[in-house]
Amino acid sequence: MINDFNFVQPSSVAEALEALSTNDGVQALAGGTNVMVNMKRAPLQTECLIDLSKLDELKTICEDDDCIRLGAGVTISELLNWKPGGVVERLMQPMCHAFAGPLIRNLATVGGNVCDTSAAADLSPVLLALNASVELQSASQGSRMLDLRDFFQGVRKTALRKDELLTAITFARPDDDARCFYYKLGKRKADAISIVSIAMILKLDKDIVSASSIGLGAVAPVALRAVAAENTLKGAALNDDTISAAAEAAVSDSSPIDDFRAGGDYRRQMVEVLVKKGLNAIKDA
Amino acid sequence: MNKKTLNFSLNGLAESIEVTPRTRLLDALRNKLGLTGTKEGCGTGDCGSCTVLLDGKAVNSCMVAALQVEGCEVTTIEGVGKPGDLHPVQQAMVQEGGIQCGFCTPGMVMSLKSLFDEESNPNEEAVRVAISSNLCRCTGYTKIIEAARALGAGEVDAKTAINKDGALGSSMTRMDAEEKVTGRAIYAEDVQLPRMIHGVVLRSPYAHAKILSFDSSEAERLPGVKAIVSAADTDMDYFGYELHDYRVFAVDKVRFRGEPVAAVAATTIDIARHAASKIKVEYEELPAVFDPEAAMADDAPLLHDDCNAYALDWETERSGNLCYQMKVDDGDIEKGFAEADEIVEAEYETPEAHPGSIEPHSSTAMMDANGRITVWTTTQKPFAFRGFLAKALKRPISTFKIIPTQIGGGFGGKLFPCLEPYAALLAERADLPVQMTLTREEEMYGTLLRHPSKVKLKTGVKNDGTLVAHSVRMLFNTGAYGLYGPNTSALASLMATGPYRIPNVSITGLVAYTNNVPCGSVRCPGGPQMAFAVEAHIDKIARCIDMDPLALRLKNAWEDGDYTCSGQKLESVSIKECLQKAADAIDWDKPRQPGEGKGIAANWWVSGTWGTQSLIESNEDGTFRLITGTVDMGPGGLTSSVLQLAAEGLGVPVDSITLVQGDTDTMPWDHGTGGSRMTFTIGKSAYEAAEDIKRQLLEEAANDLEASVNDLELVKDRVQVCGDPASHVLLSKLCYQRHKKHGGPMVGVSSVLDDPVPTTKKHPIGGFPAPSFCAHAVELSVDESTGEIDLKRYVAVHDVGNAINPVGCEGQIEGGVAMGLGMALMEEIREEEGRVMNPGFADYLLLTAEDMPPTQSILVEQPAVEGPFGIKGVGEPPIAPPTGAVANALIDAIDVDVARLPLTPEEVSARIRIRQS
Ligand SMILES: Cc1cc2nc3c(=O)[nH]c(=O)nc-3n(C[C@H](O)[C@H](O)[C@H](O)COP(=O)(O)OP(=O)(O)OC[C@H]3O[C@@H](n4cnc5c(N)ncnc54)[C@H](O)[C@@H]3O)c2cc1C
Ligand code: FES
Ligand code: FES
Repeated sequence: MINDFNFVQPSSVAEALEALSTNDGVQALAGGTNVMVNMKRAPLQTECLIDLSKLDELKTICEDDDCIRLGAGVTISELLNWKPGGVVERLMQPMCHAFAGPLIRNLATVGGNVCDTSAAADLSPVLLALNASVELQSASQGSRMLDLRDFFQGVRKTALRKDELLTAITFARPDDDARCFYYKLGKRKADAISIVSIAMILKLDKDIVSASSIGLGAVAPVALRAVAAENTLKGAALNDDTISAAAEAAVSDSSPIDDFRAGGDYRRQMVEVLVKKGLNAIKDA
Repeated sequence: MNKKTLNFSLNGLAESIEVTPRTRLLDALRNKLGLTGTKEGCGTGDCGSCTVLLDGKAVNSCMVAALQVEGCEVTTIEGVGKPGDLHPVQQAMVQEGGIQCGFCTPGMVMSLKSLFDEESNPNEEAVRVAISSNLCRCTGYTKIIEAARALGAGEVDAKTAINKDGALGSSMTRMDAEEKVTGRAIYAEDVQLPRMIHGVVLRSPYAHAKILSFDSSEAERLPGVKAIVSAADTDMDYFGYELHDYRVFAVDKVRFRGEPVAAVAATTIDIARHAASKIKVEYEELPAVFDPEAAMADDAPLLHDDCNAYALDWETERSGNLCYQMKVDDGDIEKGFAEADEIVEAEYETPEAHPGSIEPHSSTAMMDANGRITVWTTTQKPFAFRGFLAKALKRPISTFKIIPTQIGGGFGGKLFPCLEPYAALLAERADLPVQMTLTREEEMYGTLLRHPSKVKLKTGVKNDGTLVAHSVRMLFNTGAYGLYGPNTSALASLMATGPYRIPNVSITGLVAYTNNVPCGSVRCPGGPQMAFAVEAHIDKIARCIDMDPLALRLKNAWEDGDYTCSGQKLESVSIKECLQKAADAIDWDKPRQPGEGKGIAANWWVSGTWGTQSLIESNEDGTFRLITGTVDMGPGGLTSSVLQLAAEGLGVPVDSITLVQGDTDTMPWDHGTGGSRMTFTIGKSAYEAAEDIKRQLLEEAANDLEASVNDLELVKDRVQVCGDPASHVLLSKLCYQRHKKHGGPMVGVSSVLDDPVPTTKKHPIGGFPAPSFCAHAVELSVDESTGEIDLKRYVAVHDVGNAINPVGCEGQIEGGVAMGLGMALMEEIREEEGRVMNPGFADYLLLTAEDMPPTQSILVEQPAVEGPFGIKGVGEPPIAPPTGAVANALIDAIDVDVARLPLTPEEVSARIRIRQS
């Protein structure tokens, strides 16, 4: 009747992977801020929880001049206090500040946020804009890297295999002269669920867009890259016409639903508004 | 069960306990270790009442599996400070008045402690961020932020933190401050009894359905199940407030999603839930109606076969789904409209809202050897609950003893039984103590909500701004049961003209049944709904005749001698003063930047309802006990102002009076708390009881001192001859000899009577003593592209008649402003086909500390003609004007019409698009 599950606290990632490969119905527990909410709502359909919260191996942030690697166990608070400088910092800081409130930020992890695959997960647009990849590990097959876009496969669906853990998120550090914009639209100033969130990085050559990446959250079953908008921008001069065209294209990239949090129409309008806001801010910066 | 041993450090000491993988840190602390200072307001990470420090970091203990803290260091509120030995953060909270109901307080203290552990003088922004995960429904955060400021500035001191000066007008520290700030106060869910089991309610999954069959046999056979009760085996009667149409269990059909159908008790909450899921109820769905307008149509699905069959305390014509209607007229409405230069019409809508106490409903019941049932519960009305239970379950009143616990916020949400009947029935059936607590999710559809309203206004005005005619149609959706619908409509009708003089008025109030969650009587029932409609309409009128909205208000504002729509003659009217002060404080005349706006709104409300009785007894050492039958749901009127008034009546220092908190067996009967009556009514009776006992003391002393009573005075601890302090007798001596001689205490008694206030018109409610007046103003900016509103600052001016405890008054105002702003900006129960779509604090949004604008409270003290020391009530009024003030500031900023609340970014965007088209 009421399912009783086991609890293991591995002392290394290897031990965790071992436990994953030898048991069925195992679920990772990191900060618990999704898992515990689910458990409150209904009994967990799991045989065993593996507690990752004590694994220091997962809590490191490695950076060199080119590349950054965020351990899956890094918390949002740690991310907020991290000062990588440049575009990364200018995207991460406002995102982390708008992420839940300080209590949740002290628990919630990067890996949990990505693995939960909520359409409204706030890390996703930023990581998508950064062209991030995920590092997945299993006891049997070692480690593999996957583009975050391929990791997200649909509503609450990922490419994570049952015996795998997400161990890190990696991305190249954008050039120093890249420009960026972040905005989270919610219904209140703290602890709000995103209605639309957007992260964008642009490279400009004079006023010509040489590269762009735009991540959108809460406007489709999973967070996505606004590919049509990016294509519109590519090679174009960043003027009012381009900005309008890109904003319209971003709307076509998104497929928001109507729900009690916001209407689909409003979300679509806001995609347009926020893309414009972002591009204008970048243009004027 | 998969028990495991958990070793960790708790408040500095090694701890070892057995838990299961399912045990949350919160459960381990509360249930295994008895540390009930850590609270559960939601269990979903949204409220922060469960905050503890985990290795020095503030986290929600409901989000942590107990086994995750193996080897960690956990600090709870119990490890922070003790009464008499408070932590500086606790001293600051006490000193600045940051504590009301106290339910959020332990979590708030933990978050602040973690901030101050890092930084000794954080700036305001850092403080707001640090507590932005901790929801507080009572304080509006203002005094908490102030506490942090004072602490950072080095203005907090162990010695001065507690203000014991009980003089009238002194911000004396409430008597329960230390108990609350240290997490020692006992709330309903903190009650633990030996052999206690746990109960749940089985609720209807349909909005409207026939119950075809009910079979609990499988559930009964499950191991651990101790009792199941339902309509089939419960002798029930209808009960309600004015309208008696509710029964404890649905009979034959269910009328809303969430309606109780049965209740189950078992050894654990999980078994009880599982058993409830095994009860087989067959339903046949019926057509349902959710819109009140549609519900009044002839062919609408009927909720109640014959609404006239239900007892209703007031006269009305009822039919179909229309369960109450009323009409109030004054002057000649047609003539009024004929005189008008302009006629302005509009409709305004407000949604269902939740009282939003952070403490969920919880009740614990136990049957004693004589078959009497004791219920520990979180209630605003212990005696009324005893009566409700007696009526609902057809038992004599003497069956029940209600023990009120600390209330973690009421706001009208704890005026009507919720879990008490089920806990009582299950305890009786199981012959075991039963505890029941609503989950936050159930809290959002299993309790009574604020009535959604549709208000049509048509107002005639002359070009000079004189209001000449005002026709009002108010429609309240009461949900599946009428309960407080009539009362809400009647109160709202009093607010239908605002505080303005309009000679020709016609007000219609309609209350309709629908298959939505039923509504109750939430803080200032009808007030925020009408303040939104009327005040936004006033601004619309002002724009129509191109007049300044403040000037229009001042021109029509009530003055002494004007009448309410029920024909109550008004005295001590201060509305113009309130408006002017609010306007000055917000710099009304200064020009606005583009996208910025200012709004002003005025309102009035009733203070003091019903009579009461208080007793003051002497102790043999010359101290006293104040005994009232009421409870304090958080504001602190009882634990500060009422005591201050008693001390004033007696002439003794306030700390020589103890407040007695009892139960329905031991306390004098009282109506309970609500209706802004605490300081006004209870305070008055405490003062008069004190005067009564003082008279007796003087008489006793007159014997001793061989003097005439008229020559004696009571000064602190003695009675002395006026002008000759050497001739005196100590109260301790007087009381001791009195106790010895009479074998009992001296008792001072007073009754405050519920004298009808004269009115010239027939109205279901009529008039109230000591109306109170207020005006609010707000400055905001709007991002037209997204529709986001940013509140810059807020001003609330309230005429409290006489501020017995100024910090207490401000606390009511700031908390009310936060609640009103919530309604204005984000609070809304979203029902779709009768299903609440946002059942929790993740999607039913209360203001956080980051949302609350800097707020200035201004107290006006124009004494009421009636009542003690000119007091006017301040418990409810502050929540009404914010809806109007924000709407008007939005209108001012971007020139849109408003039609409904809340003014979310999406709603504001929709208004902008309407303006553009
Ligand atoms: C009050 C509240 C507010 C919130 N606000 C926000 C917000 O503003 N923005 C936002 O994006 N989210 C928010 N969330 C959601 C949540 O906090 C985040 O998604 C968080 O990042 C999840 O991380 P966690 O470590 O707590 O995950 P957990 O709950 O521990 O895990 C989440 C899921 O990921 C899996 N998992 C975790 N780590 C791994 C791993 N390394 N490998 C494989 N699988 C893994 C788990 O099995 C589980 O299925 C909020 C939640 C709450 C309760
Ligand atoms: S009970 Fe933990 S956050 Fe509400
Ligand atoms: S004092 Fe904060 S919720 Fe009551």
